[in-house]
Amino acid sequence: MEVTSLGYVGSAAVFIALALALYGLVAGLLGVHRQDARMQTSARYSAVAVFVAMTVAVIVMQVALLTDDFSVSYVAKTSRIASPVWVKVVTMWAALEGSILLWGWLLTGYTALLAVVAPNTTLRPWALVIMQGIQIFFIGVTSIVANPFTVLPFPPLDGPGPNPLLQNHWMMAVHPVLMYLGFVGLAVPFAYAMAALITRRPGVDWMTQTRRWTLAGWLFLTAAIIAGGWWSYEVLGWGGFWAWDPVENVSFLPWLTATAFIHSVQVQERRRMLKSWNVMLVTLTFALTIFGTFLTRSGVVSSVHAFGDGPVGPVFLGFFLVSLAFAFTLIALRWDQVRDTAELDSPVSREGAFLLGNILFLALTFAVLLGTIFPLIVEAISNERVTVGAPFFDQVSVPAFLLIFLLMGIGPLLPWRRAEEQTLRNNLLWLTGMALVFALVAWLFGMNRPYPLITVAVAGWNLASLGLLLAGALVPRVRLSGRGAAAVIRTYIYENRRRFGSMVTHFGIVIIAVGVMAASAYRVDEQARLNLNEPYAFQGYELTAVSLFQESAVGEASSGAVVEVSRGGRLITTLRPHMKQYEGQEMIVPTPGVLYTTWHDIYLNIAGSTEPSQPFVILHLVQSPLVTWIWIGGFILVLGTGYALMPGRAGHRIRAGADKNVVRV
Amino acid sequence: MAVVIAALGLLFLFGLRRGSPDRIITSNMLGQPVPAIELPVHSNLLTQYGSTFSLPADAAGRPVIINFWAEWCEPCRVEAPLLQDIWEAYGDEVLVLGVQTLDRGRQAAGRSFINEFGLTFPNVFDGDSRSGRAYGLFGVPETFFVNADGTLHEKHAGILTAELLERAVGALLN
Amino acid sequence: MFYLVLVALVAGFSLAQSEGGTTIERRVFEIAGKLRCPICVSESVAASSSQIAITMREEIQEQLEAGLSESQILAGFQASYGDWVLLEPPRRGVHLLVWLLPVAAGAAGLVLLIGFMRRWTRAAAEVPAASEAELERVREALDGDVDSE
Repeated sequence: MEVTSLGYVGSAAVFIALALALYGLVAGLLGVHRQDARMQTSARYSAVAVFVAMTVAVIVMQVALLTDDFSVSYVAKTSRIASPVWVKVVTMWAALEGSILLWGWLLTGYTALLAVVAPNTTLRPWALVIMQGIQIFFIGVTSIVANPFTVLPFPPLDGPGPNPLLQNHWMMAVHPVLMYLGFVGLAVPFAYAMAALITRRPGVDWMTQTRRWTLAGWLFLTAAIIAGGWWSYEVLGWGGFWAWDPVENVSFLPWLTATAFIHSVQVQERRRMLKSWNVMLVTLTFALTIFGTFLTRSGVVSSVHAFGDGPVGPVFLGFFLVSLAFAFTLIALRWDQVRDTAELDSPVSREGAFLLGNILFLALTFAVLLGTIFPLIVEAISNERVTVGAPFFDQVSVPAFLLIFLLMGIGPLLPWRRAEEQTLRNNLLWLTGMALVFALVAWLFGMNRPYPLITVAVAGWNLASLGLLLAGALVPRVRLSGRGAAAVIRTYIYENRRRFGSMVTHFGIVIIAVGVMAASAYRVDEQARLNLNEPYAFQGYELTAVSLFQESAVGEASSGAVVEVSRGGRLITTLRPHMKQYEGQEMIVPTPGVLYTTWHDIYLNIAGSTEPSQPFVILHLVQSPLVTWIWIGGFILVLGTGYALMPGRAGHRIRAGADKNVVRV
Repeated sequence: MAVVIAALGLLFLFGLRRGSPDRIITSNMLGQPVPAIELPVHSNLLTQYGSTFSLPADAAGRPVIINFWAEWCEPCRVEAPLLQDIWEAYGDEVLVLGVQTLDRGRQAAGRSFINEFGLTFPNVFDGDSRSGRAYGLFGVPETFFVNADGTLHEKHAGILTAELLERAVGALLN
Repeated sequence: MFYLVLVALVAGFSLAQSEGGTTIERRVFEIAGKLRCPICVSESVAASSSQIAITMREEIQEQLEAGLSESQILAGFQASYGDWVLLEPPRRGVHLLVWLLPVAAGAAGLVLLIGFMRRWTRAAAEVPAASEAELERVREALDGDVDSE
């Protein structure tokens, strides 16, 4: 294998990107300081140029991976000749250096997009400067600290391939990209918030200008977390989808604060309250994304997801502390303009509900953060080793979420400023009534544990709320417009994207909540020894292990069992749970066999040896009710938020015709 | 706020300095009697030691070095000759016991391991890894240094060195 | 109609509910879910398929069949591995912090919230007192308006 020039080209591209980014930062600063429009335009162009340079770097890396160029150090460390093409493509983010390259590239993409698309306001130049600063950090890390393009003078003949868990499922192509899009997307509102502080405009401007960015970032992050859960379910072999693993937790933390944020900005938009709160919240969100990447890449906590420790850790820690310090210094300096001079007519109002919701989200964030770093704290204090795992997080998060879901139901029904007593009472009657009906039905059918019952009740509460919201919006419109109900509904959905989108999103969350509850609380595990050709009864099914098999394909070997799943004597499907090993890697990864149905999944995983001569196989059997509802709910959520993001026809309502006398709900 | 940032910074600096959380966790059984062992002896050592080896019975009042190993474990291969040396030097005074664990169903592999390194100290097969579990194993290799009275003197997780073994033997014999 | 459909969905789910595995089996996995797999990176004994996890689940089953209680079983594993093996930190000493601090934080948040809400509600309810001169100006302006109508 000769040394090609790809490594040099890639490194050059990254260094050029860094230089351009530095230039962009300086030009932006000068431009805004001297009010020089040409400088500012130059800064904007440089943002695009940075993106182009990083794109070149990414293309070079892909070429190196796809042509098995082992003179590029990252390829030598992470790729393998026998891998299929799609695996080679995703190998780019399968290990530390490549993942930072991906993050940096997406960040430059966002920055370039901001430079090109964002409306020309007072805030934009400063926001661009902040984004340039952030991207200088990431590009700097890629070029200086963790350069994937380092050239190896003596390239090896082949590499080990990526971590086996990262090459046996297509989700590897989706989840990390979504996650980074989410993290990076949340940097934009942060940049604008800082710009607002710097330019002494801490009002609503920075939020209204970034509303879509924030929502899009949130959407990507939510989709990424749900996708990650699905991936975990299909690949790790334990039949679960969320383990409160430290790396999972740190991706969850910014999600919690971002969710709080997208709700509390509405309070600022409507009532001009919570200025300082929102700025701090968006800072916290951004800081948590950096914290998350620090924790994942520093080896400070043990996690199945953590990849790499080394020089990158301290660098990320430094950036995390610096950004926090920078942001809070800025807040302190502008405190007089940012402090809340708020007026609240009544706590029983939309504002009140959002405020309470915020407190709950933040309390949960604190609890999860504390639990995640607690072992470290204990070790620092007393050198004892302790674990904080799923039981702790479950006990803390379930009550918090149930309370949040209660608010999710009543909140949208409360008007701004003050809730009128009679309407409120009617609404509460409906909500409570439906909640009780749901709980009663569940109880009659045998559900008797408190948390599941409460969850079902809360689901009823929320469904009633959504029904009331829709009825409250549609019924007057149908009455007043004289057109058919279908047309009115269509128009309503078309004209109120934000509103309707949020209803759909909340509906999706209710589905997810019920799915999570059922899959956790009513899951049945069994470790069973299936003798060959003898049916084994499991939860109403008959499982028959027909044979054990061993197969190999290019660069991989699997060994497992063929299991027929029947119900009432009728064959439903044949599952092939197996263990897989990739050439060049020692780790053996499970591939469970899963029967998906609407009401539950039957999940089989190998739990013993699969020697072909054995007359039996030991399997871990799992039945999880309603797991698929989680993915379906997630899909509904994505649709809802995506719809809310679509540019609406805001002008339509103003063009009031004679018969368009709609009552605004 | 500055205090919080500083505290977090210090905490994570500490975390970075101490490196990845490893399994070098001090044993919970230090100073306490170690769990009893009764396991089948590997067939290539049957003639010397009989079909079953038991602790504390077969220790006969000697201190014991219990080494948990597995056939697939690379560091175990490096330290096997060192243990053999110790056995040859101190065998009358200190018992060396090898326990093959985390190797379900792989007695044959264990036998070849013993033959490969010409081990003559007793080696038993912990088929279902229960003894390893009882001793609080976090992985292999792990070595337990047991006093003559049956209490745990020291646990070493990870690969052994000749100096470490010498020092431990010295401590056990005093 | 809509609601009936939903009720039916809930009912359907309830019917599909597990008939329950053998009680001991379920308890094995419940207890295993509270223990950390010693040789894995970060998995519970219930989740892991490693040899130690399988062994530990077998041991838990035997101990349950022998009539031991959950705390006795957990204590047995704690004896070998220390507190680390429990997925929930023991509720004593410095570990209490992880349990108490979140509750304290939530309570503090609520207290702060109530405090702020009170302050903000008062601010809205206060009507700034007008001075006599201002009232006079208002009267004149009103009279003036009435005249010019």
